[in-house]
Amino acid sequence: MNSPSFHDVEQLSAYLDGQLSQAEKTRLETRLQSDPAIAATLTDLRQARAILRRTPGRRSPRNFTLTPKMAGIKPPVPRLVPTLGWASAVAMVLFVFTLGTNLLGQISFGANAPMLSAAPMTSEGYGLGGGPPATDNSQVLPTPEPYALTVPEPTPSGEPRLAQPPAAPSSTKASQPIDFWIYAWLGLSIILILAALLVRLTNDQAFRRKVGSKRNQ
Amino acid sequence: MDEPALIRNAQHGDLDAFNTLVLAYQDIVYNTALRILGDEDLAADASQEAFIHAFRALNSYRGGSFRAWLLRTVTNACYDELRRKQRHPSTPLEPETEDGDEMETPRWLADPDGSPEELLDKAEIEHAIQHCLENLPTDFRAVVVLADIQGLDYSEVASALKKPVGTIKSRLARARLRLRECLHSFGELLPSAFRLEEERTL
Repeated sequence: MNSPSFHDVEQLSAYLDGQLSQAEKTRLETRLQSDPAIAATLTDLRQARAILRRTPGRRSPRNFTLTPKMAGIKPPVPRLVPTLGWASAVAMVLFVFTLGTNLLGQISFGANAPMLSAAPMTSEGYGLGGGPPATDNSQVLPTPEPYALTVPEPTPSGEPRLAQPPAAPSSTKASQPIDFWIYAWLGLSIILILAALLVRLTNDQAFRRKVGSKRNQ
Repeated sequence: MDEPALIRNAQHGDLDAFNTLVLAYQDIVYNTALRILGDEDLAADASQEAFIHAFRALNSYRGGSFRAWLLRTVTNACYDELRRKQRHPSTPLEPETEDGDEMETPRWLADPDGSPEELLDKAEIEHAIQHCLENLPTDFRAVVVLADIQGLDYSEVASALKKPVGTIKSRLARARLRLRECLHSFGELLPSAFRLEEERTL
């Protein structure tokens, strides 16, 4: 009686599982009847398999179901988000534009505004002595009433200055439309940003409610 | 349970469909991990990891046995866990009695099925099997767990472990032989009911 080779053990193990072809099975069954060592090995393998098949099954200690977070699922993007994404970008541009314009406005309409706004008045200002010599001084010197009231005091050097007061009212008139647009852009920017945030927040809350209700089911 | 439909829906991101599959397979997955790792907490962690990975890699499933595909995922998670364990070995805290003796895990107290004797028998078989499984090389252990404990056929085991059927056949034969020798050493410790049944089987 020879101890079975490893090939025999393999054949016996496959025989137990019904994995042999009909020819292999017949050949092995013939050997099993004549070789007690082979038969004993088959018994050993069968016992081992029987013990393993009786391994008590355990219930899983908890449910392994996945939450959206575990699965890496993010809240769905609402339809308006791409539009509002652009809206945010536009709002940002408008905001920067507004800020820039405002600063420029302060610079140009603050320090230089009187000079710039005074320019259209030069035809009248020339008459005060700052421009080219008038052909007829007598026609220019009697300035209209408002101007006459605002003519500055002569400078120590005796040279009359360019009339400042007329410049001030025209400066405020020029800055009014710009102020309007600044506030309009700023308002629009804020509205767009708030709308984007509101849609996002509403969507997130709806998603959480949906997930929460499914988990409670 | 319409498994193909659930798988299709899960592949399109339907988490509810996937969770239905999880509930159907979680016991098989957990038991496989438990027999390979021999530790309940590690097995639970590996099972959870396996399901997370399975959901993310679900599009790589191309038909065939879903059970085998899922068991491949959990087997890989167990291999990762074993490698981690090898790198960072730890000593488990065993509960002790007041005299300082190791306390037996009273699993039967928590099990509502069967009489205390039956449950004790079950616990003894389980202990013997787990001890012998842990003495096997990891590759052999995985084969025997999938084929003999989970009842997969050779082609399913081959698919789960990505090995040729010939390799599975060979490893299973070796593993059974070694297990028989190991279980033999328990001899009389194995429950009498079990031994009688074995005699009847013969």
